[in-house]
Amino acid sequence: MDLHYTKTEDQDAQLDFHRFVLLVTHEFSPRLRFISEIELEHGFVEGLEEAGELELEQAYLDFLLSRRISFRAGMLLMPVGIINERHEPPMYYGVERPLTDTVLIPSTWFEVGAGVHGEVGNGWRYRAYLTSPLDASAFSADEGVREGRQKGNQTNIGSAAVTGRLEYVGVRGLTIGASGWTGRSGFQFRPRFDVPVRLVEGDVRYSRNRFEGRAQFAQVDIRGAADLNDAVARTTGISPNVARSLRGGYLEASYRVVSGARYGDVGTFVRYEHVDTQHRMPDGLTPLPEFDREQWVVGATYWPDPDIALKVDYVHARNQSGIVKAPHSFNVGLGWWF
Amino acid sequence: MRLVLFTMTAALTAFTAMSGWSIGRAQPAPPTQTVDVLAERFTFTPSQIRTTAGTTLTIRLTSDDTSHGFRIVGSEVNVEIPKRSRGTTTVTFTPAKPGRYTFQCSRLCGAGHSFMRGEILVTDPVKAAR
Repeated sequence: MDLHYTKTEDQDAQLDFHRFVLLVTHEFSPRLRFISEIELEHGFVEGLEEAGELELEQAYLDFLLSRRISFRAGMLLMPVGIINERHEPPMYYGVERPLTDTVLIPSTWFEVGAGVHGEVGNGWRYRAYLTSPLDASAFSADEGVREGRQKGNQTNIGSAAVTGRLEYVGVRGLTIGASGWTGRSGFQFRPRFDVPVRLVEGDVRYSRNRFEGRAQFAQVDIRGAADLNDAVARTTGISPNVARSLRGGYLEASYRVVSGARYGDVGTFVRYEHVDTQHRMPDGLTPLPEFDREQWVVGATYWPDPDIALKVDYVHARNQSGIVKAPHSFNVGLGWWF
Repeated sequence: MRLVLFTMTAALTAFTAMSGWSIGRAQPAPPTQTVDVLAERFTFTPSQIRTTAGTTLTIRLTSDDTSHGFRIVGSEVNVEIPKRSRGTTTVTFTPAKPGRYTFQCSRLCGAGHSFMRGEILVTDPVKAAR
């Protein structure tokens, strides 16, 4: 559950029941499991209006053959980045997820597919899935590839996307990961043309005693972005100004000021993030500087219980535009999980 | 007669001294091994524990976040690991035969619950000693 209060500069404050998540699972045997996650976003869903979303974020069968290789099929979380597979609110600092995990890695990112996962040696893990691809006709200058998720809704699977992640978790407190995704995303356009999309990502997390550090970098490359912009402009009359390269990442440091106390833990954090969804443009298009964004986020989290997080943060945002201002915001969030 | 008894006693004493065997001597204690395992969403660290058959393995389990489960598939071991800062759960397991014993989280702990797996790699003690 995730409840947010947001006060954005020059706007009225907003209170939003952002996420209500139900996990439904069944264990047929220790080696055969069903796991599902149903999420209601923004409180309610109303037909034909942009009010909220009811999403089936996970629903898969896991055939746990051995530690080295297991098989999984159904609605899968894409194994990309820090947040997408670990998105329970008490697990990350900040009321909102990092921008990198929103517009470059469109978390929560889930698609229908199948694949393998496993672990070899002492801590080398992998996942490799074939899934439905992103839909390039919904890419935008502002939100990058976010709206391209097909979300398992009668998805086009004419050409399957390939995604995978390799990570090392063999040292206590340390996770080093690298992820990739590649797919052909131009299936909506007529006459057909190809829009190959590639995403590469790297991340590190390290925690020791009360300290935790995180770093993540992601880059999306869209070949055929010029044709994509032309095709959308012919249909809608407006070019989406989609870049051929989007890039971003963040560094985050946090420290548990209070740990192990009877009344809970308190942690503080600072995060610097830079995301440019107009990093490299197709020939003939000019980048929009307001989408070359930077954020400093400072805040704190209070855990009265390890599964409940009361968060507060301040976002100091800026961009490269001299005209369009990036508003700062003050946010409060209450998240819990059980 | 005394000579016979003396001779038998001397022979028995010499035999036991040479063989290292004595009446009433305790059997050697079975080997033991203790391992600390940290559980967090969604890993066990270490995720691979190496031991030998017949060794009594003591596993001390601590969580860094929510409560998790710890089950060794095919055994009676299935316990709950308390939440962060709420203590340690200790289990013992004595694998009788060499092989790979899978352990996994048995309490739903989030989206990546199924990734929380590991193995106890058990080798033959005779081969391990060589």
